[in-house]
Amino acid sequence: MLEINRGASKEEIQKAYRKLVKQYHPDQYQNHPLAKLAEEKLAEVNEAYDMLMKNGSYSTSHGSSTSSSHDTDSGNRDSYFQQIRVHISNGNLSAAEQMLNQTNNRTAQWYFLKGIVFQNKGWYSEALDHLQTAVNMEPGNMEFCSALNNMNQNNRVYRDRSQQYGGRNMDICDICQCLICTDCCCECMGGDFIACC
Amino acid sequence: MFGYILPDKPELKIREYEIYRAYYCGVCKAIQEGHGNLPRLTLTYDSAFLALLLSSLFEEQTPMEIKGCILHPINKRKIISNGEILDYVADMNVLLSWFNFMDKWQDDNSKIAYGAILALKSAYRRIKVKYPHKSQTIIDQLTHLSQLEKDHCDSIDEAAEPFARLMEEVIQYPFVRNDAVDSVQGGSRTRVNEKKIDDNTKADRYKRNEAVLPWMGYHIGKWIYTIDALDDLEKDIQNKSYNPLLYQYKYQGEDVAEFRAGLLQDIEFNLFSTLSEIARSFELLNFNQNKDIVGNIIYLGMQKKTETILGRGKCVERPIRSVGNQQGGKQRGNTKSIS
Repeated sequence: MLEINRGASKEEIQKAYRKLVKQYHPDQYQNHPLAKLAEEKLAEVNEAYDMLMKNGSYSTSHGSSTSSSHDTDSGNRDSYFQQIRVHISNGNLSAAEQMLNQTNNRTAQWYFLKGIVFQNKGWYSEALDHLQTAVNMEPGNMEFCSALNNMNQNNRVYRDRSQQYGGRNMDICDICQCLICTDCCCECMGGDFIACC
Repeated sequence: MFGYILPDKPELKIREYEIYRAYYCGVCKAIQEGHGNLPRLTLTYDSAFLALLLSSLFEEQTPMEIKGCILHPINKRKIISNGEILDYVADMNVLLSWFNFMDKWQDDNSKIAYGAILALKSAYRRIKVKYPHKSQTIIDQLTHLSQLEKDHCDSIDEAAEPFARLMEEVIQYPFVRNDAVDSVQGGSRTRVNEKKIDDNTKADRYKRNEAVLPWMGYHIGKWIYTIDALDDLEKDIQNKSYNPLLYQYKYQGEDVAEFRAGLLQDIEFNLFSTLSEIARSFELLNFNQNKDIVGNIIYLGMQKKTETILGRGKCVERPIRSVGNQQGGKQRGNTKSIS
């Protein structure tokens, strides 16, 4: 799935993983007819990556506490999270939340999904908290990072728009700056815009 | 909890400000017509915003009259004289004030609140019969809120949820929801429905508004609750009242200013995320009129309020603009004094 050889190093896996996540990321498929397919693909990639990271010898520093005991039911767990993802993408937040609360498996993926549920509910402090935890637990996971990024970007939407809305009033500083720049440019080209300087 | 939603007056055109004021006066007049003079005292700016928003979304044009009133007997003002939406907003204004006074009375045994309750009692009964479904939802959410307060809820998001849901309900003008229970509004609703059938594109536009408004209402409610919690922080510490922020950030008697500074960044993030969603919803709405005034309130008024309460209202956030504006103001002042 990750297009790597058996016995690949941790770095190799992460590199391949990052590349694939970028490739299938929902941002690349906004309003695209293939969005659903890309989403499935991404889920498979994540599943494979989680499996390698949790159960292989590459256990990350935080999430590894459960690795050995979960060798047997890791498949179950992943399909469990997969189900939660489906609930979220269908907008069925209460079902997703209920499933999340039922499991004691507080992996990075759990924090990530919980964070996404919170974000969709409009609980932004909690969402930030959970996404941050997920990223701290698995700093290499592009999906988590981009979700966190997304939240931060979202935060800026209002400021950007209200700035646009107010219109950019030219004040004296702006005008002076503009004139001086024009003068400099003219001087570079051998001309002069403001004769005295 | 009320009165946070204001326009940024200096950025409004005078004509726009007159329209805004006409809505404010219109709601006041509607309260008088529906419930008498005393309940008029409960009028809030939030209601003026709600009236302006709903009327700009769902009405083609709004008739204005020039009238005097008790407060302005000589300088007569423009007043919006349209009925249905203003009546609804007036009712919601009185209803929410009633609950607000009930809360104050139960918390502090305030005599003023008790007096207000007596004054509003008949109006409350009337409104409860008029909008049984809405008032029930509001009661449910407020019960939920007081339960969270009793349990010392330690998450601002969770504590804000009931009030956000309450606003989600209030912002949905009854015909939007086709609410069969709110039968008194039936007449106006069918008329609007007929209008809808007349014009398909308009029906689509209204439908989109219908879908966007709850999301917007939720976030407006959340913003109000959060900013109110931050605003009342010092007061609540002094009075030893409940405030979710005290529990979320584990207040243990340290210096108030220090404690406040510690949580500011998180709250700012939360507030601006919330405002971003309000902005998104605003962009998705289809306005028939007054889009600029509503935009002024959402983008400039709410930003100003947020930054004032965050304690950075002066010129930290928009340094170039505010410095420029101040300069402009000063210059104008100077020329005036010279002339």
